[in-house]
This record gives sequence, C-alpha cells and structure tokens, in this order.
Amino acid sequence: MLPAYAELHCLSNFTFLRGASHPEELVARADALGYSALAITDECSLAGVVRAHLAAKDVGLRLLIGTEITLSDAAGTGPKLVLLAQDRAGYGNLSELITRGRRNARKGAYRLTCADLDTGLPGCLALLVPGNDSAGVSDLAHARWLDERFPGRAWVAAELLCGPDDRASLEQLHALAQAANLPLVAAGDVHMHVRSRRRLQDTLTAIRLGRPVHACGKALHPNAERHLRLRVRLAQRYPAALLAETLRIAERCAFSLDELRYEYPEELVPAGETPASHLRKLAETGLTWRFPHGAPAHVRTQVEHELALVADLGYEPYFLTVHDIVSFARARGILCQGRGSAANSAVCYALGITEVDPARMSMLFERFVSRERNEPPDIDVDFEHQRREEVIQYIYAKYGRHRAALTATVITYRTKSAVRDVGKALGLDLHQIDRLTSSLAWWDGQRALPGRLREAGFDPASAVIERLVELVATLTGFPRHLSQHTGGFVIARDRLSRLVPIENAAMPERSVIEWDKDDLDALGLLKVDVLALGMLSAIRRALDLAGRRRGVRLTVADVPAEDPGVYEMIQHADTIGVFQIESRAQMSMLPRLRPACFFDLVIEVAIVRPGPIQGGMVHPYLRRRAGLEPVSYPSEAVRAVLERTLGVPIFQEQVMSLAVVAAGFTPGEADRLRRAMAAWRRKGGLEPFERRLKDGMRAQGYTEGFADQIYRQILGFGEYGFPESHSASFALLVYVSAWLKRYEPAAFCAALLNSQPMGFYAPAQLVQDARRHGVAVRPVDVTASDWECTLESPGSRESPAVRLGLLMVKGLPQASAERIVRARAERAFDSVADLARRAGLDRRDLRGLAAADALAALSGHRRTAHWQIAGFETAPVLLRDAPIHETDPALPAPTEGESLVADYASLGLTLGRHPLALLRDRLRRKRLATAAEIRAMPHGRFARAAGIVTGRQRPDTASGVVFVTLEDETGHVNVVVWRSLGERQRRELLGSRLMAVHGVVEREGEVVHLVARQLVDESALLGRLLTRSRDFH
Amino acid sequence: MQWIAIHLPQLPLEIFGLPTPEPCAIAHGGCVLACDARATARGVRPGLAVPAACALVPSLAVRERDPAGETEALIGLAGWAMQFTPSVALEFPAALVLEVEGSLALFGGIEPILVALRKGLVDMGFSASVAGGPTAKSAVWLARAGRETLLVPDMLRATVAELPVQMATDEIETLEALAAIGVTTIGDVLRLPREGVARRFDRRLLGEIDRALGRLPDPHTFFTPPPRFHARLELPAEVTQADMLLFAARRLLVQLAGFLAARASGVQRFVLRLFHRERRTTEIAISLVAASRDAEHFIRLLRERLGATTLSEPVRSIALAAEAIVPLAGEPLPLFDDPARGHGDWARLVERLRARLGTAAVHGMTISAEHRPERASRPLDPVLGKRRRSSAPSVAPAGSDGGAGPRPFWLLPNPQPLAERGAVPYHGGPLMLLAGPERIESGWWDGSEIARDYFIARTADQALVWVFRERPTPGPSAGGGWYLHGLFA
Repeated sequence: MLPAYAELHCLSNFTFLRGASHPEELVARADALGYSALAITDECSLAGVVRAHLAAKDVGLRLLIGTEITLSDAAGTGPKLVLLAQDRAGYGNLSELITRGRRNARKGAYRLTCADLDTGLPGCLALLVPGNDSAGVSDLAHARWLDERFPGRAWVAAELLCGPDDRASLEQLHALAQAANLPLVAAGDVHMHVRSRRRLQDTLTAIRLGRPVHACGKALHPNAERHLRLRVRLAQRYPAALLAETLRIAERCAFSLDELRYEYPEELVPAGETPASHLRKLAETGLTWRFPHGAPAHVRTQVEHELALVADLGYEPYFLTVHDIVSFARARGILCQGRGSAANSAVCYALGITEVDPARMSMLFERFVSRERNEPPDIDVDFEHQRREEVIQYIYAKYGRHRAALTATVITYRTKSAVRDVGKALGLDLHQIDRLTSSLAWWDGQRALPGRLREAGFDPASAVIERLVELVATLTGFPRHLSQHTGGFVIARDRLSRLVPIENAAMPERSVIEWDKDDLDALGLLKVDVLALGMLSAIRRALDLAGRRRGVRLTVADVPAEDPGVYEMIQHADTIGVFQIESRAQMSMLPRLRPACFFDLVIEVAIVRPGPIQGGMVHPYLRRRAGLEPVSYPSEAVRAVLERTLGVPIFQEQVMSLAVVAAGFTPGEADRLRRAMAAWRRKGGLEPFERRLKDGMRAQGYTEGFADQIYRQILGFGEYGFPESHSASFALLVYVSAWLKRYEPAAFCAALLNSQPMGFYAPAQLVQDARRHGVAVRPVDVTASDWECTLESPGSRESPAVRLGLLMVKGLPQASAERIVRARAERAFDSVADLARRAGLDRRDLRGLAAADALAALSGHRRTAHWQIAGFETAPVLLRDAPIHETDPALPAPTEGESLVADYASLGLTLGRHPLALLRDRLRRKRLATAAEIRAMPHGRFARAAGIVTGRQRPDTASGVVFVTLEDETGHVNVVVWRSLGERQRRELLGSRLMAVHGVVEREGEVVHLVARQLVDESALLGRLLTRSRDFH
Repeated sequence: MQWIAIHLPQLPLEIFGLPTPEPCAIAHGGCVLACDARATARGVRPGLAVPAACALVPSLAVRERDPAGETEALIGLAGWAMQFTPSVALEFPAALVLEVEGSLALFGGIEPILVALRKGLVDMGFSASVAGGPTAKSAVWLARAGRETLLVPDMLRATVAELPVQMATDEIETLEALAAIGVTTIGDVLRLPREGVARRFDRRLLGEIDRALGRLPDPHTFFTPPPRFHARLELPAEVTQADMLLFAARRLLVQLAGFLAARASGVQRFVLRLFHRERRTTEIAISLVAASRDAEHFIRLLRERLGATTLSEPVRSIALAAEAIVPLAGEPLPLFDDPARGHGDWARLVERLRARLGTAAVHGMTISAEHRPERASRPLDPVLGKRRRSSAPSVAPAGSDGGAGPRPFWLLPNPQPLAERGAVPYHGGPLMLLAGPERIESGWWDGSEIARDYFIARTADQALVWVFRERPTPGPSAGGGWYLHGLFA
C-alpha cells in the first residue's frame, strides 16, 4: 500500500531562477503520482497560483496556496518558513504579508522580518524549514518563536533529500521538534516536477548568481532529489507518521481561489440610487445627448436588452467606473475612445465610452457581455498618448494607491534571451554569445536554431552546443520577471492587497499586482485598460490647429461624414500619416479595394490582417466586389450573416455567428470557439470544435465542402482576426485622420510632428509628403519657432505654412525652448549673444540650436553660428557685459551636402533637396531609375532603382518574404525580396542604408512593386548621413 | 634634428604573433578596433559594432583588445630600435619616434636606416608606416596619416597643414566643435585668427601644432631598456605544430637581436617558454657555443631544437628570455626574489622532497567548492599556492547545502570496482552500510557527470570505507555497480 501524501513545500518557476517547472507541470505530475494535495509555495509570491489553480481544477487535484519566506533579521538571515492559507481571511493576510515584503524592497526582491509576523498571521499554518546549523541552536530558537506566533498552527518540516546522512538528520529533527514541542511533518523542498529538470535547475542557479555553472560550486544542489518524488520512494525515506501528518495539514487548508470575489468600488453611485438605477439614468441622459432627435427604436431595444443583462450579472459598477474615467478625460479635453468589443454595446455608446453609432452597425452584445461566460466585460479605452498619465494619476487620486494598481505582464524567456542567459551559464564568452544572439536577432524560431548556429560558426553537434540547445528549448517560455501591463488597472472596493499581492514597479510611483490579464480573466476579476494611442493626440492637435486657423472650435463631431474627396484620396493610397491605412500592406490594398463609404473602411481595417489573409478571404472578397465572381450563399441564414461582406467572413463576429446559425452553437459555445481560435496557434485545442462544427453543419444540411471551408477560415483567423466592433472604432479614426490630411494638410502635418514618436513614418517622410501636397514647411528659427510646430499664414489665400518647432532640435530641452519663446515675446533678439543672455541658454542649448541651423537669422550660416557660440563658451562672464569685439573670420559656407548631413543629424530631416537628388548624377551613371520612373513602367520590365531604406518588414503571412521600402526625391519604391534572395544577400538586405535593387516591375492597377533579383549596398554614397529605417515592427 | 616615426596601425591585431585560421578582429568597447585583411575584404571596418561585424562574417574570430600586450610589444620594439639610435621614445598607443641625427654618419644617411627599419618590421610581422621629419611631432603625424615620406624643413608647414586636424587633438568635444565650423585640416586651423582659436578651443591644440611646426620645443623622454631581455607573445589560437611556433618565435628572436645590437653585446643562452593550459609550461633552453646576436643563427638553432621536440599539449603563448648577456658575464640575475625566503624549512623540505621524488610527486592540496568528490580538492603548488590562496573563487553556499558530508581522509584517485553478492558490496568480505545514501548528481556541464549514492561502510576488519553505487544515468554507462572511493582514517 502506498502512503497518501500531500506536498507542502513546492516552488514553481514563478520563483524566478529557482523553480524549474511550470505550475501546470507540477500539478499534472502531482496528480499522476496520486498525491492527495499539492501546495504551491513560491518565494514571497502568488504570481503562479492562478495557473496552478486552473490546472488543478482541470484534473481535480487539491491545491493549497502558500508561500516560502526567508525572514531577514538584523543579524542576517532569519528562519525560513512555509506559510499556507487555511481560509479566505488567512489568504488575505498572506497576500498582505507578501505585499509588505515586496514593497519594502527594490523591484524583484522582498524583505520581511520576524516583527512582520508579530500578529501571527491568523488563518495561516506555518512550517519551519530548519537551516543547516549543526548545533541546532538557532533552529530551536526559531521553532520556539514560531510556536508562540502560530500556536497550534506550527510544524517543523523534515526535508530528507539524500544528504550526507539522512538518518542522523532525521534524529536531529526529531530532537528539535521535541524540544520545541512542535509536530514534525514531511516535505520535499520541490524545485522541479521531474528529476530530469536538474540541469535546467543548475543553469537557473548559475543565471541567478551571474556566473558560469562550473563556478557555482556548492551553490548548486548536490542532487536531483528536489522533485515530486514517487510515493514508493517517500515511503522508504520517511516514517509513516510524518507522511500522514502532511494530510492533516492539507485538511486544515480549505481555501480555494474560487472563493475570491471581486468587489467593485462603491463610491460612484450617488446616495439614494442603486447601481442599476444610476446606470439607467446615465444611459438615458446619454441617449438624449447622442440622439437629440430621439434614438431609433432598435437602439432603444438594444439598450434595454443590455441593461437587463448587465443588471442580471451585476456588472453595473464596472460600466460606472469606466464612465467616470472617460468623463474625467472629456472634461480635461483629452481625446479618448473605447476599442475592442465594447463597441458592440449601445450602452457604452450612450455613456460616451465608445464612438461607433449603433444605428449604423450590427451589434453583437454577447461578444461583449455574456450570461453564459459569466466573466466580466473587458473595456479598453484609448487616450491621447501624451496625456494618458493625467488619466492614470486621476485613477490613483480617486481610489488611492491601496485600491488601484496596474496588472502585471509576465515577461517570459524568448529564444534570444534564453540563448543569452544559458550561454553565459555554460561559460561561453561574451562575443560568442553576442554572435549567437545577433544571428537570432529576428525572424527565427526554435526550429531554426541548429542552422543559425552553424552559420555563426558553431558546431551544433558539439557537447556544449547540444547542452545549450536543449536547455534553451526548455527555458524558452519560462517566466523571467513581472513587468507592468501598459495600462490595465485593477480597482478594488477595499484593500486590493488582500486580493492579490502588490509589488513595486520599475517606474517609481507605480505599483503592480502579481497577476496578469489571463489570471484575472480566469478568476473573473475585472480590469480597466487605460491605453495610449498616438493618433488620438495627433487628431486632437490637428483639430485644435485647424480650428484656431478657422476661428472656430473643431471637434471630431464636426468632421463631415462620408466626404467623397476623402475617399478619393484614400483610393489612390495617398495615405501617409493616416491612421492604420498608412502601412505598406494597407497602401497596396487600397487601390484594389477602393473604399467608397465608411463600411468599406471598416472592411479595409479588418481585411489587411494576417487572419483574413491566411484564411484566404482577401481574394474572394476582392473578386466578388469587382463583380468577377458571383456572390452565393448556401442558405438564407448564412446570407443574413455574410451578406454585408459579400459572402466572405471578414470579422470575428461573423465566424461566431456562422457557428451559431449554421452549426447550432450556443452564443456561449461560439465565444469559447473564439477563445480557442485565439489560442490554438500556441496551444492547439481546436479539434473538439472541428468535429462539433462539421457535425453541426452537416446536420443542418450544409455540404462537406462548405464546412471545410468555414473551418479553414476559422483556423486562418487564429489570433489575428479583428472583431467588427474594433474595426469600426479604428475606422472612425481612419476617416477623421484622412479628412484632416485631405482638407487640413498643414495642420495634420504639424500635429503628427508634434505627436512623435508615433505611426509608421519618420518626420522626414511626413514632411516630404506634406511638401509634395503643396504645404510650405519653414525651418526651425529662434526668431519664429515655438516649442511645437505651428501654422503660419502665407499672406495669401493658399493653405498655411508649417513652421517647424523647437521640439525638432535634437537635445534642446523644452524648458529652454519655452524661455526662448517668452524672451522673444518681450522683444526681438538682436544677436546670438542677446538670445543667449535673455533666454538663459547654456552651451548645450546653443550648440543644439546652431546644429539645427536655428540661429541663421541672427548669425548667418551654421559655421558662423558655431564660431560665435564657441566664443561665448569660454568667456561666460563677458556674456553678461559687452561682448569682446572681434570680427568673425570669413568661414566658407557649408556645401549643400554638408548642410544636409547636419540637418539630418540634428533634425532628422532636411528642407533642402532630398539626399538622393544630390546623388542623382552618380545614380544615373549606374543606370538607376527614380521612384517616379519605376511607377510609370509597364508590368514585367526589368528595372534598377535605388533609395534610402526607410522600412523593412517581414509579415508573418508571407513565408520569409521581406518587404523593403526605398525612398528617393520622387517618392517610394516598394521592393519585394523573396526568401531565397534574402538569405543569399542577408548582408545587403539588413545592412544597407542606401540600397540599389535590380529586379522586375510587377504592376497590378495602381499597385507597383519591384521584385528584387539582386541587391546592392550603396550606403557608402551616403557618407556620414544618418538615416532611419523602421524595421520588422 | 632628424626624426623618424614608426606607426603601427595594426598593432592591436599584430601583437598576436600568428594569423588565425578564421578572419580575425580585435574588439574594444563593443566595436571593432582592428581587423585583418580577410575580414576587411568581407566588409568589416574599424568602428563597426561587433555584432554587426559578426553578422557580416559569421566565422569571425573576435578577441578583446589587450592593452598590456600592446605596450609590451611597443617596448619590445623600442628595445629593438635602439640598434639605430639610443634616442627612442614611445608614442602611445601605437608609435615610436627615433631621433637619428647622430646616427646618420654611422649608417651612411637616413635612407639606409629607413630601409633597415622597414625590413626589420616586416621580418617581425608588423605592418608599419614609417616617415621622417624635422620635428618629432611632424614625423609621428605623417606616419599616423599613412604618408610615408621624408619631410624636408622647407616643406614642413605646407605638409603639416594638409594633415587632418585629428592629428593635433583626440578630444572629442574639440573635434566636434572644429567640425561644426568646417575645420578639417590643420591648415584650416592655421587660417583662423589665432586669438580666436585660443579663446575657443582647448589650448593644447595650438601647442601641439606649434610643436609640430618647431615653433615650440618638444622635449622627449627617451626609452631606457631593461637590463635583460624578456618578451612574450600571445598566440591567437592554440598551436600544436612546432613549425608554427617557429614562425611566431621569429619575431621575438629578431627583437632579441636588435636589443643586443643596441648594447653591443651578445648572448650565450636564451630560453623559450611555451605556455599551455592551466599555467603549465615547457621550457626550451638554447645554449650557444659562442656569444652571438645573429637572429638567423638563433632561428636555425631553435628550428633544430623544435624539430626534435614533440609538443605534449597545445601552446597558448610563448616568451623569450635572455639573461646571460655577454658583457655582463657571470652570475645571472635571479628571476624573482628568492621564493623560499620567509618560508623557512617548509619550502626547503618541499625542495628536498621534490629533488628525491620528482616535482610531480609532491603537491599541496586545496579544497574547491564542488559536489563531485574528485574535484572537491585539487593539487596546488605548495610554494606558489600559499601566495595565490586569495584568488580562489569564493562562492556562498546554497542555503542548506553548505555543509559537506563526512569525507574520507584518503580519496582514491580512481574509484575501484567492488564485487557484489546478493546486492551486498564486497571488499575482502561483505560490507556493512552504516550511513547513506548520500546522493551526488552533478557535473553535467563538463562531460564528467556523476550520479552516485555514497555510503559509509564497515569492512569485515572494522575499517571504515567510503563506497558508492552508480545510479543509472541517461548516458551510455548503464551504472548500478559498486565502487570503493575512499578510506577513513
């Protein structure tokens, strides 16, 4: 008979760099071994418990929640304890203890002393893990102390791990327990689920200590006993009573994470109202605001339907919380907009959380809130990226730091980081590791490793490399540390730290809980995503600039809908700077799709995604739209779902609806399908749905072929499909930004420059584009520029000019720029010395301004400016008085090329000629054509072109193809580099700043590509010119 | 005055005496500092980030810069160059300057000196740029700029003016400020108003230019050679062939010849030391019948000796020492202070034991932090070991694993297999297991992995022994057998 056993001391890999198994692996192994229970006791952390909880629920294993803590004392290390939660209150105490420990120390560490346990942590049991002090003096003192703090709740843990003499150790432990009058219990100090993780565990130790594994000596464990041992082995090692004691402890721990319930903040409901009545009131007010002439009937019905469901599920406080945050932003003039599935809610529209008019969209509220799913909704709201901090501070101020914190993001090992750390642990030298990691820098997964190793000059068959590859494979996917989610907030009614431990974040003044989004989802806890979106900043700025010029206040609502001029521009892919549709892939789709109304934009946003592309939806849709292929439906029910997209499923909701109408799924099942779709690429698990779907469709009389096709499309969607609601929210921003570009190009350009960094293009390209559209752009000038880029009237009725702002000047602080503007408002500057004195500029400021040629109005060309300011620098005292009278030497003006280099170095762009214009004669001699010439060439023509590399992309969908964008003085050339060429000419592909391409023109309507046959690196022609390429985003 | 400057642009690379099998680059601060022709041909340039260089040439051998080695090489070259003039000065990081006015008569003009210098440098495997000028600075700048000319005084100003301004200062801030006003050559500086320049830029800039032009004195501290010759050469990769070693040693022998020529002396005995892994060395001593300073003769002798030597293990670096320099005949200077002094009888005892039993038979012991018993102690030199103790890595023990178990006084060098009858190990009778198992599973990282259960056992004659049973490992050895590993006192 095997003895029953519960493991009470077990670390997962959420004890970073100690635990060598995932929580799920530990649970599965404990279950397979027939353990009665398993405690996950990560060191001062509960970060891994939710994963363990889910896995344990799946297999039906009892899971105990606990933690291992080594107390620090004045003298150094205090006792090491394992604490286990008995009930909800005990769990709360444990979570608070961990929070205290974490917040007492720098990020990633903790500090707790014996005094922190003075209250005895009610609701928790404690195990003392005796140290290795042979005299046993301090162990005894610790045991007595523990007995005092945890009366009737303390044990001594006997961890027999095949040490030098386990029998003697056991006798000592018995003596210790007896002396302290505490019971003894068996435990395993588990670090891994199976013994074969020993190498990885040793490697983790080496990484933790920052030295190679061969130099770790006794810091390594002597053997692999710290795994979940067979019960037959335990029976050999431990007296039966010690094993039986584990069960008594497990029985006393009745707590399950399922008991956690989220308690919403309460203060948002005014006295005398219930959450439901208050939400209804706000929704009514909102409907009147949104529909001054009365809401359409179906919108009303929708709102009623939603309110009923929300009331049923008790989610009102959540809507109220988000409404409160959004109202704050509105009041501050911060542009914001909900994204994601919240746009399926008419209530969210009425509350001002989302902007998509329910009267114009088909809404699938179940995608957002579903009774069956019983899981709180997810409302993500985008705010202007440069003002999001105000919103975050508002949340902290309103709810207090003890009630609000950010959710965590678990940073896991990727191949690259795993190679780096394992390489160091195995003692490879830094150059070797750099070479390994840089050859893995992009586009490779685990499978490519042996090949890359060979390429980098390593023998994949050598012992060291074999070990490396094996360890890297296991380490990849291990959690490495917790980081903060970009904007996911958790807000609790009382102390959040009783729900989940809170840690310090890398950013001061931020705190992060130990659970990530998936953990929260799994436990049904809710969060609000406060996200940052650069385009919202740009739109708000552009509206402000345009409004000021027109003398009115412009808002998004003032942008006229369905303007044909906007669509005409979009159809020509004239969309640099426009939200979403400015990317290379989007731009090549626009002339084919030819969007002519808002819904077309929604489709455009959704269709140029890996999901629809891989699912093979794009071409059928384009052909049907062009009338080249008949539109047909296998049934009326399917027609109802797919009619708006010509029979081709493009949105996530459509796939779900198909499952409902064609295969008889319930909405809840369809939602599970959606989740499985999102995860199958990582985890698999779609097969049950495949059978269910195909059987369901067959039962309803659909053909096998149709069922197959739908299933393939679902696979293609994977995690990349957009829901319609999300596409619609984004399409709104597409339309508004396109309208601004079409009718207010100067304001739009200035706003984009002021909102950098954002979007797909660098300032140089944005300015080039604006100038191609006839916008005058004027240089940075201390006598005219503000901090931001501004509009200046041209003095005639043409469009205004953009004056570049001082923010473009590299290295000039905003405060200095503002002093310049203030001093200038008093009186114009008469010299550089006057400027320096009155604006209080230091040498760095002056040098930055001179480098940007912003002093030209006062000093003449750059070189004279530099000569002048170099003169003040060493004589600061004289600055305040009359400057020395010396005549400036006649410095030769810089050449056009030199100015260009200096412009790029300081501003990142030039208002002079394009660099390639200067090189054009030499390029002509090499028979290289311009972008304009390439655009005019017929299909199939052999051609050569050259340009500055402004982007390299390798879409996941394109099996190794790299898209390179080249820019010259006439525009862009879109280059396609097939995989084989890319591998052959890796150096030219990755290393060129100025690239020449010999290839063949491929033309489809307005879309022109140059398919490369050969790449030539011409970067030497650029000399010292700094260029920027946006690679592999 | 007549000055000659020697600039060694590839010194960081060339201090390694042999070419590597792969293209090679020297790294400094994450960037390529120097690289060989094969790397250059494939696009590697000084200044390139190391990862970028490796991306260009995946097989690139990258070595970290060795500034001490560069200085050593420069000093070696200075000693060699003293055969042409006693006035040799080091111009760090990579140049020498020679004042040869007084040697012109002896060598028959400057041309023969230049020819001999160039030939010697080529012999030693250095790429060098050699230039002459009326001031030390002008000669150095020309050499650094790669303009191997002999500057006559009339051309001084015009030629110096053409040189890049980087020659006169290496201060980044000054260079940036100069670049900003469009100054690229020394001539550009000279064209600016002198007071304006003095006020704006680092004063040393004008000072350097003035010294180059002979407007300011430029005193030099000349190199004083050490009394004996010692030069070391790091090899870029481990060498196993004797002829490769000869190639590398050639440079040192040429240096030795120059060193001897400078002091009008010869040598009767020199020693080439070959350094292997883990501080093991091989010594090759060459004695000459009569004192000589003929490099070719040295090389011939060494070739013969190397031909007769089998290299027991690969060589990582070599060093050449010559102590018996002939005009100073008599007692050789001791290599170090007498190491035995202060160690008393202990050291003498070791010496005596070693004399009787052979050096390898007598060694000290030190413990090292290791779970594997074989490696938990290691031999060390009883004399040197005492001085080196502090350099042993100290590792904090892992929580509860700090205490080692009982270890036998005498550990067998190789575990001795034991017979087993009825699951009981035998060693002159059945062994009685007293304590254990102590399980040790460790050492996977260096290919000597062990997985054993150790027991303390009592033999039939009441002796205590340390035995283990091998645990099955995933590897080829099936395991399971019993072994005797140690005896308790």
